[in-house]
Amino acid sequence: MQEHILSILIFFPALAAMLGFIVHKDSARAYGITVAAIEFLLSLWLWNIYDPMTSGMQFMEKAPLVAAFGINYLVGIDGISLFIIVLSTFFTMIGIASLTETRRVKDLIITLLFLEMTMVGVFAALDAIVFYVFWELSLIPMLYIIGAWGGPLRIYASVKFFLYTFTGSLVMLVGMLFMAYFYYQATGQWSFSLLEWYRLILPLNFQLWLFAAFFIGFAIKVPMFPFHTWLPYAHGQAPTIGSVILAAILLKMGTYAFVRFSLPLFPDASVFFMFPIATLAIIMIVYTAMVAYAQEDIKQVVAYSSVSHMGVIVLGTFALNVEGISGSIFLMIAHGVVSGALFLLVGVIYDRRHTKLMSEFGGLASVMPRYATIFGIMMMASVGLPLTINFVGEFLSLLGFYKQSHSFTLVAGTAIIVGAIYMLSAYKKMFFGNVTKEENKNLKDVNRTELIALVPLVIITIWLGVYPKPILEPISNSVESIVQLMHDKAQTPEAQARIPNLSNPVAKNSQQETY
Amino acid sequence: MLEPINVSLASLNVTTLAPMLIAIIGALTILCIDLIKGGLHKSLYVMISLLFLLVDLGVVVDFGNVFIENGPVTGMFDMMLIDGLAIMGQVIIVGGSMLFIPLALTSKRFHEYNYPEYFALFLFMIAGFQFMVATDNLILIFVGLETASLALYALIALHNRSKSFEAAVKYFTMGALAAGFFAFGSMILYAITGSIEINQIGSVLAADHYANIGYVLVAVSFMLAAFGFKLSMVPFHTWTPDVYEGSSAALAGYMSIVPKIAGFIVAMRLFEFLVHSGVVWLQVILYITVVVTMTASNIWAMVQTDVKRMLAYSSISHAGFVMAAILIGTTQANTALFLYWALFSFTNLGAFAMLWVSRQKNLLAGQSSDHPFEKFSGLIKTMPMAAIMMGLFMLSLAGIPPFGLFWGKIYIIASAVTGGYTVLALIMALNSALAAYYYLKLIVFMFMKEPVVGYEKFYLVNASLSLKTIIGIAAIGTIFAVVAVNPLLKIITLFVYNSGY
Repeated sequence: MQEHILSILIFFPALAAMLGFIVHKDSARAYGITVAAIEFLLSLWLWNIYDPMTSGMQFMEKAPLVAAFGINYLVGIDGISLFIIVLSTFFTMIGIASLTETRRVKDLIITLLFLEMTMVGVFAALDAIVFYVFWELSLIPMLYIIGAWGGPLRIYASVKFFLYTFTGSLVMLVGMLFMAYFYYQATGQWSFSLLEWYRLILPLNFQLWLFAAFFIGFAIKVPMFPFHTWLPYAHGQAPTIGSVILAAILLKMGTYAFVRFSLPLFPDASVFFMFPIATLAIIMIVYTAMVAYAQEDIKQVVAYSSVSHMGVIVLGTFALNVEGISGSIFLMIAHGVVSGALFLLVGVIYDRRHTKLMSEFGGLASVMPRYATIFGIMMMASVGLPLTINFVGEFLSLLGFYKQSHSFTLVAGTAIIVGAIYMLSAYKKMFFGNVTKEENKNLKDVNRTELIALVPLVIITIWLGVYPKPILEPISNSVESIVQLMHDKAQTPEAQARIPNLSNPVAKNSQQETY
Repeated sequence: MLEPINVSLASLNVTTLAPMLIAIIGALTILCIDLIKGGLHKSLYVMISLLFLLVDLGVVVDFGNVFIENGPVTGMFDMMLIDGLAIMGQVIIVGGSMLFIPLALTSKRFHEYNYPEYFALFLFMIAGFQFMVATDNLILIFVGLETASLALYALIALHNRSKSFEAAVKYFTMGALAAGFFAFGSMILYAITGSIEINQIGSVLAADHYANIGYVLVAVSFMLAAFGFKLSMVPFHTWTPDVYEGSSAALAGYMSIVPKIAGFIVAMRLFEFLVHSGVVWLQVILYITVVVTMTASNIWAMVQTDVKRMLAYSSISHAGFVMAAILIGTTQANTALFLYWALFSFTNLGAFAMLWVSRQKNLLAGQSSDHPFEKFSGLIKTMPMAAIMMGLFMLSLAGIPPFGLFWGKIYIIASAVTGGYTVLALIMALNSALAAYYYLKLIVFMFMKEPVVGYEKFYLVNASLSLKTIIGIAAIGTIFAVVAVNPLLKIITLFVYNSGY
């Protein structure tokens, strides 16, 4: 079983979803929670048997799909993907557990289980086509969730979400086919295996074009400025569960793909584009923070702040050194936990008042003290207060980029601090002052179901903020091997100078040898 | 006194005619049965057609085995040419027909199926298509084309609605024009080369280094126009949506698959050597046709209000997509064409069959066409299984992995990449995004809107067991395509490569 653990993790939710069609609709929720819990336990077991000292791929499985065209079912994980997989299963579980939706729950749960399959699949895939299959498939459940359970503009939002990401990923697909063709030219064999692509050293001008093709696909998903316009609509219209999964997991696909594809495949191009992308990332941090400040809807505030923090992740990734990349991967986890929690919290108040406008609230701290506390903790984590989970990731990301450019880091760092303003002001509007509205006086505090979802998130936020080592160590082990691979492949003098040489011969080749 | 002609029967190789003869005998059998006893139920004719098609398919597959061992077979004074393309073309033609003909077993009665002639015409048509692909003789191609087309016009008209007559006449007029173009083109080619066999035309032209390039270009223009009509390339596509709308959904689905593969094979035979001869003008024209066909039809499809018309434009777009393979002209591209079409036939047949089961006899008040988008509104709430099936076919048509068409799509785009057509590859990919919009539109209607009162009584009204089986087969072929891609790819590459394309 151990050697097939990844396939089990990927296909168990899908199988369960198929059987879920038969389950009676009154029992669907219990069924969903059970399946998601089993899946989560399986992923914890995966973490348990994962060897943190090895930096290369583990639990690899390979089966030919279209052998004549070099497409294989190839999955495997390293320290980078392991925790995002655990995060996905975790969020699916608490997402289903805290579900307050009452319309057609069974359909929603089946959709969520399919979505879980695609999420785990994306992060476990090591073959470009398998990756692409799951990447595209993840759009459909999300399309359905936003389109069927969303707000009044749901159809516009869901179609926009789908078309944006689909267009981007088609350009990426052409890039993948080119990559496979270059591999074919070099070796005489078709292959879509990432690990085999890693060995390919491309001339700079090819790298630049391919980097651009992949970048469009990933950047729309992240979403990077100026491709971010679909996200506010998607978040604004999506039901709570949709926003939670979208912010916590689906956006991470883009930043994860940067680390998995763009950096090791095109090291020279990554260095070439480092400052343009860093500029975009900083614009993204500053601009979306400003937009967030102007919002009147609390969900939009959270959505824009989530985009803003994705900018820090991108910045850390393109620091191209171990601190920056490890920090950005840690921040992906942190951002998942924190923004997922914030969307859940918005969902809590929306369920009670059916409005998300901040002007409708005020003085909630006295009416809902537990809610205010949890919201406060999560908001502090979101602005990056030390000893919370976000701080570790943001600090490392900035530290990484500081080694590349002092001035950029200074701007980004300031922007993050300024970003605290909109969060604090939003908190002030909602929770402090007098209770002005009659409806708010008798609001119920968070109930048991909601606490089940929120308390673990609070614990993780603080635990990993104080003691991030159990996660950070395997991440940086795997990141080291990627950075070393990049350094070895780098051809331009600038790239060789920018990407540090870790000169650790064990870590250096393990990626290739394990294959 | 004339000299007696001495031809040994063996040199004729009469067996090369066997597949077509089986279809023709089938048609005659149906007519004879009707002569002896009329008024029999349609299921009898369906089963007889199916039986003959099965034997037909068996013979074609047998030729496939012969081809793998001995290479192409010629017969009847080299009129017949059974090479890899012919065999694969016939497999798709006969296979597609076998999936189509059970769609006649609707639970409601339809006018056309009461006539045994319908089934006889159907088999004659198949024989025509088979002749068309199993030769490289321009005259036999013409005869095959006309046999098949004339039968098809009659089949459309038999649907017996005013729109069907309009469609049949429209198709007939356009078809006659195309036939004229084809005849002119052949005539000029014969005039400059003295041959009506495509490979000889090719070698004669190559031998004199395209000395008569002016005439070649004129001939090619006529041929392009002829195939433009038959394959519904923009700007010769105007008949397609009207004809599809006028025919029954089942026949429209059939028309989007089988006649086109026959056309593609002839186009492949004819244009392949021309593309490789370095006639730049032809490449440019083909390039423009391909891009315009894909893009324009996608844009038209977006604004359609009727699902069947939308699917008609979508099938034009798919034909343009596949035509790109002929432009690229490598073995990989030609392989991709067959792979794409094999996968497309399952998906598209499924999509049209889903329309067919919801066919209504009379329009509701205020309903403008047979299958407006509103008809499928909120289908997930009233008929979840039907909605999921239709959604599946739409996703496959849009090229969402891992469903059938995705694999054909990436293989064609990959062949564009390897053939050096980078920009074309990008255009093809972006066109898939355009296309996603209108497929998504139907999904939006089915999954995200509320049901419209009045239509619910038409859902699955025609669905008999055999129709459901066909849809099930199409769905299984669409979902599990990934398993079939590898063996298909191997066989098709072998066939295409050994035929010299």
